Amino acid sequence: MIKINEYENSNGEAMVLIIDEANDKAESMTKAEYDRRQEQVAQSTPIDTEDE
Amino acid sequence: MAAGLGFKTFQTGEVLLSSDVNGYLMQGVLVFASAAARDAAITSPQEGQCCYLKDTDAVQTYSGSAWVGFDDSNAIQNSIVDAKGDIVTATANDTPSRLAVGTSGSVLVSDSAAATGLNYIPTLFAGKNAFINSNFGVWQRGTSVSVLAGATATYTSDRFALTTQANQASTVSRQTTSDTTNLPTIQYCARVQRNSGQTGTGSMIFGQSLETSNSLRFAGQTVTLSFYARAGSNYSPTSSALSANIYTGTGTDQSRVAASYTGDAQALTTSVTLTTSWQRFTISGSIGATATELAVIFISTMTGTASTNDYYEVTGVQIENGSTATTFQTATGTIQGELAACQRYYTRINAGSVYTFFCNGNAYNTTVATCILPLPVTLRVSATSIDTSGTASHYRLINGSTSTACSVVPALDQAATQSVALNFTVASGLTTGQAINAGANNTASAYIGVNAEL
Repeated sequence: MIKINEYENSNGEAMVLIIDEANDKAESMTKAEYDRRQEQVAQSTPIDTEDE
Repeated sequence: MAAGLGFKTFQTGEVLLSSDVNGYLMQGVLVFASAAARDAAITSPQEGQCCYLKDTDAVQTYSGSAWVGFDDSNAIQNSIVDAKGDIVTATANDTPSRLAVGTSGSVLVSDSAAATGLNYIPTLFAGKNAFINSNFGVWQRGTSVSVLAGATATYTSDRFALTTQANQASTVSRQTTSDTTNLPTIQYCARVQRNSGQTGTGSMIFGQSLETSNSLRFAGQTVTLSFYARAGSNYSPTSSALSANIYTGTGTDQSRVAASYTGDAQALTTSVTLTTSWQRFTISGSIGATATELAVIFISTMTGTASTNDYYEVTGVQIENGSTATTFQTATGTIQGELAACQRYYTRINAGSVYTFFCNGNAYNTTVATCILPLPVTLRVSATSIDTSGTASHYRLINGSTSTACSVVPALDQAATQSVALNFTVASGLTTGQAINAGANNTASAYIGVNAEL
C-alpha cells in the first residue's frame, strides 16, 4: 500500500511524502516535483511501436 | 675524360674550341633506347660518363670498368613495406625495419622493450566515453534492484534506469562477467531480467540519458556506440534480439528512459542477436547538428511468460567521437572517479552498521528536528527528492543520552547542491532549539538517498 502525505517545509512550500510500505521505501519532494513526475508518467511514450 | 667546365651559353659567331667540346658538350647525359644501343654507340666509355636508357628509365654512370646504376643499395627499398599503414622504423643503427599498423583506434607509443622501439597500444585514456558507470561498478541503490511492473524510469545501477510495462516486474542486478577472454578489463555487468512468471510482453527500456553539458560534444559529429552483451538461457525476445539505440533531443537535461525527448530523433539503431556468450557490438553514425541531449536505449521486446533466465546482460557501454570502436574505458578511468561522477546525480548514505549517525541539527519544535546532511559531491542541481527506507522506526533522534525512535520517515525540508535539510519526526519530547543527532535505530538497513537525477 502506498501512502501519500502532504506537508509544508520550513519555508511554507508544499511538499509530498510517499511511503511504499510493501516495498519498504519512502520518498519526499516538493509538490511541484511530484506533479512534474506525474505528468511525465502520464505522457510517457518513450518508444514508438516501430522500434519494438 | 676531361673535367667538366659547367654550363656556358655560346654566342653567335663564337669559336668552338676543343676545350669547350670536352668541358661542356661531352659532359651531358646521353640518351639511348637501350643498353645495347648505348654500347654500340659508345665503344670506349669514359669514367664519369652518364647515360639515360629509355627502355628501363634508368640513369647510369660509367665507373671506369662498367656501367652502374645510381640506385643506392643502402637506401630504403620499396619492398620494406607490405601493406597499408606500414611505417618504416629501425631496430638498430643503420637497420631499418617495418612496423605493421596497429588495430583501429590504437595509438603509437615509444617502447624500449619492442624490437623497433615503438608499439601500438589501446587508447585507454579517460574522457573519450561519455557514459558514466558504463562498466556497472557503482550500485549505490544496492546490487539487486527490484523494478515494479509498469514503472517509469526506475534507477537501478547508478545512472541507468529501467522502464517496464504491465506485468513486467523486473530485477536489475550486478553480476560478474566471468569472462577474461572477450572482455578482460570489465569485472561487472548489469543483468536486466523479467522476473520468472511475469506475463507482460513488449518493450522493456533500459538506458542512460546524458545531461546536455555532456551531450554537446557529439552534436554534428560521427559517433560510435559499442557494448558487450549476452543472453540468459530463457531470453524471450524473438530471435534473441536486443535493440540498441542512440536517441537525441533538442531540449535540456531530459530523461529519454522516462519519455520521448523534445525534438526526439533516433540517431542510431541496430538490432543484434544475442547468444549466451559475450559479444561486442558496435554501430557508428552521425548525430544531428542541433542535438543537445543524447541517450543510449536498449529495448528488449519480451514474449510469452518469463522463465527462470529471461534476461540479458550488458556492460562496457561506450560512446565516443569517430567511426571506430576503441578499447573500452570508463568515463573517468578510475573507480573513485566513477563513484564521484555518479554522486553528482545521486548519493546514498547507507547506515551499514546499526547505530550509524547520519546528520546533526536542532529541534524545530517538540516533535520535529531539522538536520543538515552535507553531501560528498556537489549535485548537478539542487536535490529534487530524498528517499529512505519505508520504516519510521529505522531512524532515531539523539540528545545527550536520550534516544527516541522516529514516528515518521525522514522527509525533505530544504534542498541545495551541497547539502540537504531533513525533517526527522518523533511523537513528542523535543525541546525547541536543542541539539540533535539523527541516525539509524538498531538497523543497518536505514539509509538516506539524495536524488538529482535527470
